[in-house]
Amino acid sequence: MLKSYVGKNVCKVDAQDKVTGQALYPDDIYFEDMLYLKIKRATHPHAYLRRIDTGKAEKLTGVVKIITAADIPQVKNFGLIIKDQPVLVGVGQKMRYMGDALAIVIAESKEVASQAVKLIEVEVEELEVISDPLRAMEKDAPLIHQDSNVLATHYLKKGDIKKGFTQADIIAENEYRTSTLDHVPLQVEAGVGIYDKKSGVIKLWVATQWLHDTQADIAQSLGLSKEKIRIIQPVIGGAFGKKEDISVHLHLALAAMETKRPVKLTYSREESMIAQSKRHPFIIRMKTGVTNKGYLTACQVEVIGDTGAYASSGPAVVHKGMYHCTGPYNVDNVSGVAYTVYTNNTYCGAMRGFGTTQMAFAYESQMDILAHQLGINPVQFRLQNAYDIGSSTPNSQRLTHSVGVKETIKGAAVMAAWKEGSP
Amino acid sequence: MSKLNIELTINGKKRKVETTTSTRLLDLIRDDLHLTGTKEGCGKGECGACTVIMNGELAASCLILAPQADGAAITTIEGIGDDKYLDPIQEAFIETGAVQCGFCTPGMILAAKKLLEENPHPDEEEIKRGISGNLCRCTGYQKIIDAIKLAANRLSSSDSGRGKKDA
Repeated sequence: MLKSYVGKNVCKVDAQDKVTGQALYPDDIYFEDMLYLKIKRATHPHAYLRRIDTGKAEKLTGVVKIITAADIPQVKNFGLIIKDQPVLVGVGQKMRYMGDALAIVIAESKEVASQAVKLIEVEVEELEVISDPLRAMEKDAPLIHQDSNVLATHYLKKGDIKKGFTQADIIAENEYRTSTLDHVPLQVEAGVGIYDKKSGVIKLWVATQWLHDTQADIAQSLGLSKEKIRIIQPVIGGAFGKKEDISVHLHLALAAMETKRPVKLTYSREESMIAQSKRHPFIIRMKTGVTNKGYLTACQVEVIGDTGAYASSGPAVVHKGMYHCTGPYNVDNVSGVAYTVYTNNTYCGAMRGFGTTQMAFAYESQMDILAHQLGINPVQFRLQNAYDIGSSTPNSQRLTHSVGVKETIKGAAVMAAWKEGSP
Repeated sequence: MSKLNIELTINGKKRKVETTTSTRLLDLIRDDLHLTGTKEGCGKGECGACTVIMNGELAASCLILAPQADGAAITTIEGIGDDKYLDPIQEAFIETGAVQCGFCTPGMILAAKKLLEENPHPDEEEIKRGISGNLCRCTGYQKIIDAIKLAANRLSSSDSGRGKKDA
């Protein structure tokens, strides 16, 4: 077995299906008698829904049913860490970002569903739109959910931060900001659902990264046992963290139960941009101390992560970012605080690196700034501070094996053709 | 949204299809002909996932209305090869690891097909230009470029007769 495979190229099991176009992604699945869904989304990023009128849309030929929150009073909120996201926003409830769903249109064709969405009339009472997490943290800012706009606060402490800065000869203190990013997997959110009347089982073909968590979340939201939710994983057309969150799943399940017919929902790219998770933009305030000989003594960090309208993976992403505040460099004295903050932006969740890529922009910039101030070679400066076997991370994890950062730095310097005097 | 009949040659077969004035060629190919190897990534002609070869030219099928394809000859990924016969480009994509999520792969292979028909010996820059209308979010493109190089080598060696002898 080992002799046959290790050290040899093995063709991926699904590569042939993919090069011939035979691989079935969610939107490639068709059933006889299938209906198409389209979602009526929020008309304002922060507003109470005061009226929703589906009358004109329902009269359109080909519209089978329009589901609003009034039709599903038993359905509960969903969410990966905190159940704070509504399946549909009802009258008297708040829309908190432009992706919030107000109604599910079920029609005989995609075209009719799209037309019907435009005929739904909505009246809202507008509230202050909070697009800046610093505004969200102010005392007089309106609350986006029931409790504080600061959803989670995490702390980090290692050694003695005061002593660390006392030992430092040079201190660099800077603020860094990173931007919102969409993962842009080429396949947008899509899926097909079928409700089996006999067994009461809802079958969903949706590309998803957390099958079992998603199954449990759908079940709790619908008030069904997990056995009644079956997720069948089609081929995933890229995910990168964006498909960890629920997207089309609950709307498909509700429409399938309502109509007892196969249903399909495929987002447009614009809808995916507006409604589905993003990489958190971070504000990072970092203060780093170093001796004249170029050894790091202290790192103090404050992280403000804009998680948008809903928590998603935010509480985990933002504090994980903070835990990486020193990067792969030895610092004995570390102190940090990370705030995960609600705003009316599109919610942010998991994306490759889970908070660490944002932090890398800050600590690596600090390393370059400090090397410049010290007048020493930035490669050497990194190497003399880099982790080895036995080093401990900001949360005091002792590294016991597989520490390759010095080789990586050396290799990167060679590949970048770095030489003395390079920026 | 009036209905009309069109006739087109798709992967060598003549097809008569009823469509509408507002149906995109992409929807006709996917929803009516069920050739779902042609993908929709953006609906704006930016990503290349919906690429087909239409009358010998690469085309974004999301930007073409179905009636515009009346009388056209269209090749989709299903016309390039199948389980019984893989095109050398398809083989090269598998062997070099150029396929990850695979969603861009059909469009990439069609772009590569067109490139190699016009220029059997492209250099790296020419390959990059050849696939510049196709986005990939997984691979970083290098293995796709490797695949096209490998396919070009194999196709040119089979032109000289060696490949045919082996077969």
